[in-house]
Amino acid sequence: MKYSMLLVALLSSSTLFAQNEHKEAYSIENTNVAQVTPQMNHAEEKVLEVNHSMLISVIGQGVAPMNTASPAQAYALAKRAATADAYRLIAEKVKGVRVDGQDVIKNMMVKRSTVRTSVNAMIRNANVVETTFKEGLCEVEMEIKLAYSQFAQ
Amino acid sequence: MRSRDGNKASLLAVCSIIFFLSSALQAAEYLVSYRYVIKDMILYNDSFLISPAMKKCNGTPQRSLDLILQGEDNLMQLVSNNNEAFRKFIEKIGLEIDHKEKTTNFQNSSSTIITMKTSCFKVDFNDNFARISHLK
Repeated sequence: MKYSMLLVALLSSSTLFAQNEHKEAYSIENTNVAQVTPQMNHAEEKVLEVNHSMLISVIGQGVAPMNTASPAQAYALAKRAATADAYRLIAEKVKGVRVDGQDVIKNMMVKRSTVRTSVNAMIRNANVVETTFKEGLCEVEMEIKLAYSQFAQ
Repeated sequence: MRSRDGNKASLLAVCSIIFFLSSALQAAEYLVSYRYVIKDMILYNDSFLISPAMKKCNGTPQRSLDLILQGEDNLMQLVSNNNEAFRKFIEKIGLEIDHKEKTTNFQNSSSTIITMKTSCFKVDFNDNFARISHLK
C-alpha cells in the first residue's frame, strides 16, 4: 500500500512537471512570434490592394545616332530609344529582373567578371507624360496605372 | 397594280444606291506585326510588317483609330503616311519587351527588342476617313 501511494505521488508530480514544461515551451514560442512580427512589418513594401490602384512612373533615356540626316530625324530616333528604355524600366518594376553573375578567378585574381540581366514582359496602356530632348539625349517620362482587377484571377 | 415602267425605275434607284454605297464604303482585314530593336540606347532597326488577310479573322473589334484619308486605299499607305499615330495606337494595344544586358569587366552593353505579335486589324475605308480596329 505504501509503495502504491509512493508510485501515485511520483506519477502526479512528474505529470505536473511536464505540464509546466509544456507551458514554458508555449510561452517561448509566443514570445518568439511577438518578436518576429514587428520585424516583418518593418520592411514596408507597396502592395496592390483590392479597389486600389498604383501609379508607376519612370524616365527612359535614349541617344540619337551619330549619322542622322537632320536634327528632326535625330530627335525621332532618340525618342523611340527612350520610349523603349521607359518600357523596360516599367517591366523591371512590375515583373522584376533576372540576374546572372559569373566571376572567373585565377591565381587569386579576378580575370573576368560578368553580370547578365534580362527582362521579359508585356506592357499595355502605358502613357507618355513628358518628352525632353537636350544635347542629343532624349528623356521620356512614362507612367502606368496598375489596378488590382488586372491581376485578379 | 403598278406599271412596268414604275417598277423598273424603283429597281434602278435601289441598284444605284447599293452601287454607290459599295463604292464609298470598303472594309478589309490586315495582319500587322511590329518590331524594333535598340542596341546600347540607340535605335537599330524598326519594321512594320503588313499583309492583307487571306482568310477572315476571328474576333470582335476592340480599340479603334480614326485617320483622315488623303487618297490612300490600303493600310500600307495609311500607315506610312500616319506612322506616329499608328505606333501610338499599337502601344495602347500592348507590346512585348525582351531586354538583355551584359556587363563584362564594368563595360555594359544592352539590347532591347520590342515586338507586337501578328494581330488582325479591320480597316473601314469611308468617304474621307478610315477606321482601324483591332480584332481580338
